Amino acid sequence: MNNRFTRRQSLQFISATLAAISLPSAPLLANAGGLHQKPIPGTGKNFPVVGMGTWRTFNVGSDPQLLDARTEVVRAFFQYGGGLIDSSPMYGSAPDVMGHALQQLGVPNSLFSAEKVWSPAGGSGREQVAILENRWSVEQFDLVQVHNLTDWREHLAALREMKAEGKIGYIGITTSHGRRHGEFERIMTSEEIDFAQLTYNITHREAENRLLPMAKERGIAVLANRPYDGGNLIRGLQRRGEPVPEWATEECGCSTWADFLLKFIVSHPAITCAIPATTQVEHMHENMRAGLDPMPSASARQRMAAYIESL
Amino acid sequence: MSAWTSYRLQDFIPFTADIYFRLLERMGETFWPLHLLTLALGATALLLTLKNHARLACLLTAPLWAFVALTFFLQRYAELNWAGGYVGYAFIVQFILLLLIALTGLGLDNAPHYKKPPVIIGTTLVLLGLIVLPLIAPLTGGSWPQSEVFGIHPDPTAIITLGLTLILLRGFILWAMAIIPALWMLISGLTLMVLGAPGALALFAALAIGLIGLVWKQVTGSNRVFPG
Repeated sequence: MNNRFTRRQSLQFISATLAAISLPSAPLLANAGGLHQKPIPGTGKNFPVVGMGTWRTFNVGSDPQLLDARTEVVRAFFQYGGGLIDSSPMYGSAPDVMGHALQQLGVPNSLFSAEKVWSPAGGSGREQVAILENRWSVEQFDLVQVHNLTDWREHLAALREMKAEGKIGYIGITTSHGRRHGEFERIMTSEEIDFAQLTYNITHREAENRLLPMAKERGIAVLANRPYDGGNLIRGLQRRGEPVPEWATEECGCSTWADFLLKFIVSHPAITCAIPATTQVEHMHENMRAGLDPMPSASARQRMAAYIESL
Repeated sequence: MSAWTSYRLQDFIPFTADIYFRLLERMGETFWPLHLLTLALGATALLLTLKNHARLACLLTAPLWAFVALTFFLQRYAELNWAGGYVGYAFIVQFILLLLIALTGLGLDNAPHYKKPPVIIGTTLVLLGLIVLPLIAPLTGGSWPQSEVFGIHPDPTAIITLGLTLILLRGFILWAMAIIPALWMLISGLTLMVLGAPGALALFAALAIGLIGLVWKQVTGSNRVFPG
């Protein structure tokens, strides 16, 4: 048998190779299950440790150009097998923009939709959830949280009822910027909640003292918002022109500062998922790659924190 | 940590720079070539003001506040920021006030003299709004449709109106008519500062110049001419 390529076979081989190279690698990664996953405590459900936030970035109104651009960001997220997307009625048109993206792309099985109720948005918790489901074009949310603890007693009671009725999957509370941690802790202790969302990043680690141990003890999943401190952290590092330290590359595969900052967060044993927000597909790729194994060990995490403090 | 002291200015701006610049661009794309007419109206309003046809100048300027209120704030900006609707209503209030002055002549100052500092400051503000503001976007890497133009976008509309009122009005009415333009210039300047936009500096400079003019007119009783 002649094993040499014919000209036609050679051309077919070259074409196939070029096509394979030009395909985005994201779906391959998703299919390979490369994204590090963590469970929601006490349930059999897992989702990837890197999710997506929408504060400021997805509030584009009805601008067709930006609606399309954000749809591409969501497409990239889903190509990696992305799961948790978090929004709020406080984020302007962001829930509508998510609805636009989901109408364009369909609703993948991997989506874990997270919304919030927020008193200034008006209406009862139930009414707000119904309106938001309509804005997202989803039948029901996986998670609904009380935004910044506003009227949390009333809202949590309503959300608990809705969860019992099977109208939402999980309930939670949120805070950010280190605000009201005392009250946040009391709610975590006294109320039955599934999720707690708080600010945790390599320079804002107050939550390590009490909230994260409490979440671990109580079996509460934790979402880390502001992983880049509103963009200041990563912009600051990039402006300095510092390369990612070689030991971080060797230890846990950090090739970008996004890797370094996100892997630090999601490798904390109590953190379930970090939710960076972005307007750009390229940054979404960076964020999602940070969710790939390997993750830093406890000693590497200490070294990472010390390194950032030293800068 | 105290909840209130932890808030920073950027916590109150619910969109990124690219979204705001796109909003400016969409206004430009949607209403071009209306810009030519509104710029001509602005220039005419300045000439009428300097020639002491104050009521006519107010009459020309007033509808542009209603137009910006409707097309910029209520139809577009309010989608991005819940407070945008309220700013839109404030712009409608300014439209009504300008219309009232045009109809009644309330608060009008004496004929302007080119040597009077408030007239010089007012004219400077109008020229800043008519000529400099539209050039900031293209000169700083933005696109031409992002150019902010009197009667289409709120910043030059506020700056030019503040300049005209400095020349046209006096006393309590002057201050009353300056409140909404000055407040918007402050809000917009702070917004642009958070977004890292170069226009912030121009707005703060215009606001500072305008406030100096207002205080000058208040202290000197309006019509003092430079000595000598």
